[in-house]
Amino acid sequence: MDKENVNLEIKLPKVPDIELVALEGLDKMGRHLGISEEKIGEARVLVTEAVINGLEHAGEENPYINVEFTMTKEKLIILVTDYGKGFNPEDVKEPQISEKVGSSNKRGWGLKLMKSMSDDFIIESGSTGTKITIIKNLV
Amino acid sequence: MITDFNLSSELKGNSLVMKTSGYINNVAGEQISEEFAKHKDGGIKKVIMDLQESKVVNSIGISYLIEIIEKLNESKGKLYFMNLDPTIEKTFSIMGLFQFAEKTDSVEDALSK
Repeated sequence: MDKENVNLEIKLPKVPDIELVALEGLDKMGRHLGISEEKIGEARVLVTEAVINGLEHAGEENPYINVEFTMTKEKLIILVTDYGKGFNPEDVKEPQISEKVGSSNKRGWGLKLMKSMSDDFIIESGSTGTKITIIKNLV
Repeated sequence: MITDFNLSSELKGNSLVMKTSGYINNVAGEQISEEFAKHKDGGIKKVIMDLQESKVVNSIGISYLIEIIEKLNESKGKLYFMNLDPTIEKTFSIMGLFQFAEKTDSVEDALSK
């Protein structure tokens, strides 16, 4: 294994708290490469939200997602792919706390957190699934 | 290593101090919300959440905290957070939680406000 470039690929089923499996892998990779706790902490948010979002959209026919991390000392690339019906990102309204307080729907923060906490964020979605690519600088 | 969720609480006058450990997900959020609901009708004005032992939260778990903020708002109360991990603090900031909730250095500090 090239110590400067570590890769992890996992297929996660739709079961409660399965995102913790991905976080364990992320933590071990981060420690191996000596990534700061601050950056790994932010990457944990990205992974948690991407996995939860992916499994939510995965649907019942293919109730799993593929997760891939590629980490160097400088950069983390996170790919999360689900095989659900897809969605139009433009239809997702950015949540505002002033609107959420007093509303019956207090959820819907995942995309905002992923966009805000990452350095690049790409959604590719179609009728056969969605791929989210997140890039996080680690220095 | 991310540990299982645990919650302890203590009443101090009209304030409820809740201390968590472990991952704050949907189930944990619901547990926090239920603990608050047990005391809400007793005239709780302040909720102080000590998150020192919680290093990971997800947005669904946080949505339950927004629910508590909303209920405290209705009774002119306030939610305080203490011992926040820097990443959790950044997450709350992105979501705008500090427009409605406050950070505090200690239980005593929150009680004196």
